[in-house]
Amino acid sequence: MKLRAAVARVRALYSRRKLDRELDDEILAHLELAERDAIAAGLKPEEARQSARRSFGGIEEMKEDHRDRRSLRWMENLLRDFRYGMGSLAREPGFAAVTVGLLALGIGANSAMFSIVDAVLLKPLPFPEPERMVRVWETPPGLRNGTTTLTFLDWKRQRDIFEALSVENSTRAAVATSGDPERVSGKLVSADYFQVFGVKPQIGRTFARGEDQPGAPPVVVLSHAFWRTQFAGDPRVLNRDLVLDGEPHRIVGVLPAGSFDRDEAVFWKPLIFAPDQMNRGQHWLTPVGRLRAGVSLEQARAKMTVLRASLDGVILLKDWGFTVDPFAQILVGDTLRRSIYLAFGAVVMVLLIACANVANLALAKGANRRKEMALRAALGASRGRLIGQLVTESLVLCLLGGTAGAALGAILLHVAAPLVAASLPFTADLSMDLRVLGFAAAAVMAALILAGLLPSLRTSFGKLSSALNQAARGSSGSSAAVRRTIVIGEVAASVVLICGAALLFKSLAKLRQVDAGVRIDHVMTMSVDLPSAAYPSPDSAARFYESVVQRLQAVPGVEQASVSQGLPLQGVQWGEGMVLPGMRENLLVRLKLVDPWYFGALQIPIEAGRGIENRDRAGAPPVVVISQELARQFSKTFGIGNPIGRTVGIWVPGYGPIPESLVKLQIVGVIRSERTAGLNAPPELVACVPLAQAPRQDIKLVVRTSSGPETAMPAIREAVGQVDSTLPLGDVLTMEQVKERSILWARQPTWVVGAFAGVAVLLAALGLYGVLAHAVTEQRREIGIRMALGARSGDVLSHIFRSAFAMLIMGLAGGLAGAFALTRVLKSLLFQVSALDPVAFAVGCILMTLVGLLAAWIPASRATRVDPMTVLRDEG
Amino acid sequence: MLAVNMSEGKTEVPYGTLDLLILKTLDTMGSMHGYRIARRIEQVAENLLRLNQGSIYPALIRLEQQGWIRTQWGISETKRKVKFYSLTRAGLKQLSIEVANWERTTALVARFLGAES
Repeated sequence: MKLRAAVARVRALYSRRKLDRELDDEILAHLELAERDAIAAGLKPEEARQSARRSFGGIEEMKEDHRDRRSLRWMENLLRDFRYGMGSLAREPGFAAVTVGLLALGIGANSAMFSIVDAVLLKPLPFPEPERMVRVWETPPGLRNGTTTLTFLDWKRQRDIFEALSVENSTRAAVATSGDPERVSGKLVSADYFQVFGVKPQIGRTFARGEDQPGAPPVVVLSHAFWRTQFAGDPRVLNRDLVLDGEPHRIVGVLPAGSFDRDEAVFWKPLIFAPDQMNRGQHWLTPVGRLRAGVSLEQARAKMTVLRASLDGVILLKDWGFTVDPFAQILVGDTLRRSIYLAFGAVVMVLLIACANVANLALAKGANRRKEMALRAALGASRGRLIGQLVTESLVLCLLGGTAGAALGAILLHVAAPLVAASLPFTADLSMDLRVLGFAAAAVMAALILAGLLPSLRTSFGKLSSALNQAARGSSGSSAAVRRTIVIGEVAASVVLICGAALLFKSLAKLRQVDAGVRIDHVMTMSVDLPSAAYPSPDSAARFYESVVQRLQAVPGVEQASVSQGLPLQGVQWGEGMVLPGMRENLLVRLKLVDPWYFGALQIPIEAGRGIENRDRAGAPPVVVISQELARQFSKTFGIGNPIGRTVGIWVPGYGPIPESLVKLQIVGVIRSERTAGLNAPPELVACVPLAQAPRQDIKLVVRTSSGPETAMPAIREAVGQVDSTLPLGDVLTMEQVKERSILWARQPTWVVGAFAGVAVLLAALGLYGVLAHAVTEQRREIGIRMALGARSGDVLSHIFRSAFAMLIMGLAGGLAGAFALTRVLKSLLFQVSALDPVAFAVGCILMTLVGLLAAWIPASRATRVDPMTVLRDEG
Repeated sequence: MLAVNMSEGKTEVPYGTLDLLILKTLDTMGSMHGYRIARRIEQVAENLLRLNQGSIYPALIRLEQQGWIRTQWGISETKRKVKFYSLTRAGLKQLSIEVANWERTTALVARFLGAES
């Protein structure tokens, strides 16, 4: 019965009009009947009507009672306020549109950014018990390094520490499922790799024990995305083979959709150690493991330290230890973490500025409506109702702004996801989920309190009489002061952002100016992997290098072609010790493997001696060409003036599974240093060894072209295809693109902060404009009188601009103070720019001032057009 | 919230009893419209009680929402479309409850008054 009454009451809310009409009809019928009876009783028509009325009682009172009884009164009020709020917003569509736009901007940018923060920093890894997942390292003093095969196997035997421990080496392979061969990424792992992640296959199985042992038949597990695109999600794929580099692998399982689809790898296959790899010299493995349940990180570290001590007899590098790190920590690097916090800080500031603007607008509107409110209060509206009405108006705005903001956030995220995906770990699931929407809702609530409640309290608690007495003249002093303060705060926050952005942009420009040491224009690069089956020996690889270069040189438009391992700016894979016979010290050098044309193709000048030449092939005396930087260090360390002609020992990597070996090399030349590790890193000590004397399967082709490098690509592809038609080309990039990618870490936060700084400045300018425009409107009378008394428009202009300037100067002062305090968080992202760089700060201040004055110009010029006569007649 | 006329020695409608009076009226007389209900209550009370006739409408809507009475559209004596109210089965049950309540209350009050005199 209670429920039924409640339902009826709620329904009455919707059918209010109908019920009112029905009641009116009933009243009418009632009065008619009463009148008729009264006439029948002998009254005159006029008396009968009065008698009927009298017997009925107060009609309006009864109607109110009727409404009270039948329905939820407060709900009805709320709905009425809502409708009234909508109506009053519709009367001022400009105010509503600007407010909703501001809120949408703030909330949208915030929820998009929070999605990224959430995906990368807040959400736990999408694997069961992620806190048990670890990376295991050898630790040279102060560093983290990979480990050797035998040491890895020692670790794997520690069943009391690790439930599972797996290697994880990236690999690539040519796959031809349909049409042209394609180069795809994969991973070489131990059989218990998926146990580490706690991932079960969607179909089939993952690797069984022993499948990573010698002699096991070749098997492969596919990513869900690869299965869908290449096999159309066909479950019968399990009985088929995937041909990797010409070698068939039985497909045993497919992973579920999710995290692994964001990883570069599309296939996983067991890594089977070759006998040659069973050593403690080659640090080539970076194991990932799952701790046994109940084993803490500290316990694991302690046990690994004990293990290290027990292995002291066999470990070659005596000062290296063992350690265990949480897996999540490795995924999110410090630079990424800082960039994300930075961008989030910027976006929060923008939200605050947007809210301040909304509050300011609402305050201005509230000031205009004081009379209306006072009138309604005088007519008997309770303060509760007045506040309720204002709050519902704000609520309407916030609802609209929040909805638009959520939509905008989704769009922003959609646009941004592909741009930032490369910088994020594969575990990051970028999506607007419930938490993100919850955050957006919280942002809306904050905006509501800021923008709605405070101004409405001011408005509705203002003294009624003073509001009523106050004619249109003059502004309400305290409200104007509050609004000025808000604008000053906005300007200050914008200045902080814009100074930060200026610092980052200056740093980026400096970074771009760094001479890479190579000529990067008109250069095309691509990577090739020579499969072991087709290129089993170093000789076969060397023959490929020679013929591919020959073919490429013959292509019209190609000036120079070369083969090397690695490219400038991408880091050098091999770091090895260089020893001079008879000397105790050694130098840690970066080892580049290049062919005779590499220096020419990238125009790296030879400073002394000779470069690498065609005669430096397998069987010829081994040689090495060193960088200027290395030559300098060489002289310093070994006390030898001219390194040319000296013979040094370097560990040189072997071909395929062949381990590295110590080779005696004669230094034959010195080249100018190139930037190997990125534009921000100082030149490294680089030793270049002829590729023909140390062939590799993972190589890069570097082609210098006479016209646009992209236009030569079809011919380049054709030429490579003529040498080996089964080889797919990967990572096809111009050298310019390689350079841009190498500074992605600096570019992304710069543009993000820059974009938000731009928005912040615009918002602050809008706020300034709003306050000044309002002031001009309120002071029209004053301005009119002044002009009537002989003030020229110049005086009026300077009056407005002085007011704008006062706000700007205070904002700039506050902003600079904030910038001094806050820009140091940028320090790690800045390259050759101080966090307190005066030029950047000056640029920030000037930009803000210019935009601010531009915003002041519109109301100022309006003020000069005030016609004294009109104003005085209007309000006199 | 009954409007009460305190003049001429007429009694106000005791608080909460209008529902009972309406239910009893409908029980006795069957389906009828608002004016008839009001008139009937006045007649039965024989001018001892005077109610603002309008005050029965808020009571009627509430009884209807409770499911104790139902409405049907009909034509009045003045050829106007009006609502006719009648008792539902739940209303009948409610009437017996309210009657019992009322009797208990009056008996209790009567006993107190009797004990004091």
